[in-house]
Amino acid sequence: MTPSVALRLLGLAGKQLSRHRVRTFLTLAGVGAGMFLFAVVESLQQALARATRLGANDLTLVVYRQNRFCPATSRLPIYYLDELRRIDGVREVIPILIAVNNCGASLDIVTFRGVPPDLLPRFAPDIALVSGSYEAWESTDDGALVGEHFAARRGLKAGDAFDAAGVRVRVVGLIRSPNPQDNQVAYVHLPFLQKATRRGLGEVTQFNVRVIDSGRLDAVARAIDDRFRSEPEPTQTHPEKAFFAEGARELVAMIDFTRWIGLGAALAVFGLVANAVLLIVRGRVRENAVLQTLGYPGRAVGFLVVGEGSLLGLGGGALGVGAALAFLGWNRFLFGSEGQTMAVLPETAVLVRGMGLALVLGAMAAAWPAWQAMRRPIVESLRT
Amino acid sequence: MNPTDTPLIRCRDVRKSYRKGETLVTPIESLHLDVPRGEFLALMGPSGSGKSTLLNLMAGIDRPTSGVIEFDGQPIQDLSRGHLAAWRARHVGYIFQLYHLVPVLTAFENVELPLLLDPMPRRERRERVEAALALVGLAHRMHHFPRELSGGEEQRVAIARAIVANPPLLVADEPTGDLDRDAADSVLGLLRALSRDHRRTIVMVTHDPRAAAVADRVLHLEKGRLLEGAR
Ligand SMILES: Nc1ncnc2c1ncn2[C@@H]1O[C@H](COP(=O)(O)OP(=O)(O)OP(=O)(O)O)[C@@H](O)[C@H]1O
Ligand SMILES: [Mg+2]
Repeated sequence: MTPSVALRLLGLAGKQLSRHRVRTFLTLAGVGAGMFLFAVVESLQQALARATRLGANDLTLVVYRQNRFCPATSRLPIYYLDELRRIDGVREVIPILIAVNNCGASLDIVTFRGVPPDLLPRFAPDIALVSGSYEAWESTDDGALVGEHFAARRGLKAGDAFDAAGVRVRVVGLIRSPNPQDNQVAYVHLPFLQKATRRGLGEVTQFNVRVIDSGRLDAVARAIDDRFRSEPEPTQTHPEKAFFAEGARELVAMIDFTRWIGLGAALAVFGLVANAVLLIVRGRVRENAVLQTLGYPGRAVGFLVVGEGSLLGLGGGALGVGAALAFLGWNRFLFGSEGQTMAVLPETAVLVRGMGLALVLGAMAAAWPAWQAMRRPIVESLRT
Repeated sequence: MNPTDTPLIRCRDVRKSYRKGETLVTPIESLHLDVPRGEFLALMGPSGSGKSTLLNLMAGIDRPTSGVIEFDGQPIQDLSRGHLAAWRARHVGYIFQLYHLVPVLTAFENVELPLLLDPMPRRERRERVEAALALVGLAHRMHHFPRELSGGEEQRVAIARAIVANPPLLVADEPTGDLDRDAADSVLGLLRALSRDHRRTIVMVTHDPRAAAVADRVLHLEKGRLLEGAR
């Protein structure tokens, strides 16, 4: 079968679908609903993987107070800063005071990070300013540099003011960073946040430490915890992503569980297309025999059936996955727990995987009916 | 032998039996038949005498239990499924009693069906479909769906579909069985013209003596055997 013949047969399968409008619409709606679920679950999994899986570019350690998980209870003295800088393998350190509007699991988290303004560009040189400038930010007192996802979710732009967690700030710029956490927070001056949250001037929530190379993350983490073990405020140091996985353990477990929902949705799509195609083929026994009488080989008839299944899968997939990504893009969910956040965003990878899966499910669901259709003896089918 | 002397179809000692549960039904038994090139042959006989069975064997949609069926000197009964399908596409046009048009396709699209497997350019395909529809007098109904056509018109579309790929053999199983007199006459006139003007070989099963009268030769099938009938 040449590609042009295959294309014509697909056109024929498309006509069969588009001219049985109600039946096709109902099947597409069902497949779309299943693929919607699948794509939402897949986006969650993708976001979780990104937030927790360590890669070669991960150079950041989070130094937290031992056995504390909420930013409100983790307290470390700011003078650890100089000690941390002296530890072998450490490139940069930044003290951070964190204030969140909600410490539990939540879908709408606002996180303030109070940092010494001069340290931020040095610590995180890969943060890019989408609008505003560091100079403008440094010269303010209550100015905030806002991560672009956070800004988009709240509809914020430079010049706006907003309140959260009892803190009122002015947006002086938007930032974009390859590190997902940066895109979901508001950076403010450390002293300002200390005052606003009535915490002592010598006190921060955590230190973020950038190491020299990713192979030494664990060694440096151990060295840090050893250094402060006998202090009154001992530390617990994790790579940033492991810290997220640790702090948001329930959230991670819950999201991990949703993969079963995704699997169920995929199975439902398979069953739906299989049922639809089986009924289609049953109703078209004689028609397929006529095509074979005209000289269509069995494999052309099989191809027509698989084509119909594939188009149903692909069409329903486009509807469902498209709707899911639009839904996520529109809502910009930010999952948070214990001050850690994870944005669930529409992603091309999910689009590609969802459409691919829908196509494969549709084709596979049609395989058995196609086999039946192409094997039936022509004369027997004509006599029905 | 001179190829033009070879009959287009030659059946030698053909037998066809079906197993129906425990019993064996044998609608065709030791059958010999030659159909010369260009002949318009009518097959008659009582119901159940094996007419459709014989037609299906000659059209290559069924296989004999034993015996030989030659087309143009080539035996076809042992061709693989795939080769037989390709052979049908090139050599046979089949006309059914109940037309069997694809209901969701227009007249044009139905007639186009046999050409879709051929890698011919779209333009040529369109011209051939239009020519076939013009030949059956339905060029103006090209974009109508089967449900918008009368029975006679549907059968003429089916004839266009059978001839569009230019097969040398046309087989028709009671093509007028479901039509009123006028529609039947127009279908028979068409078959007659295809035989006389276009030199197609036609084998037609019919119960209707008026239809048989259009043919060059009439054969009667009786309990699986052939009896020559008067013209
Ligand atoms: N696929 C089949 N399986 C079992 N029996 C069959 C099959 N095809 C035909 N027969 C039997 O073979 C016999 C001849 O059938 P056939 O259809 O050829 O008759 P016919 O002459 O065309 O009859 P009619 O005029 O009613 O169309 C019948 O008894 C029929 O039941
Ligand atoms: Mg019959």
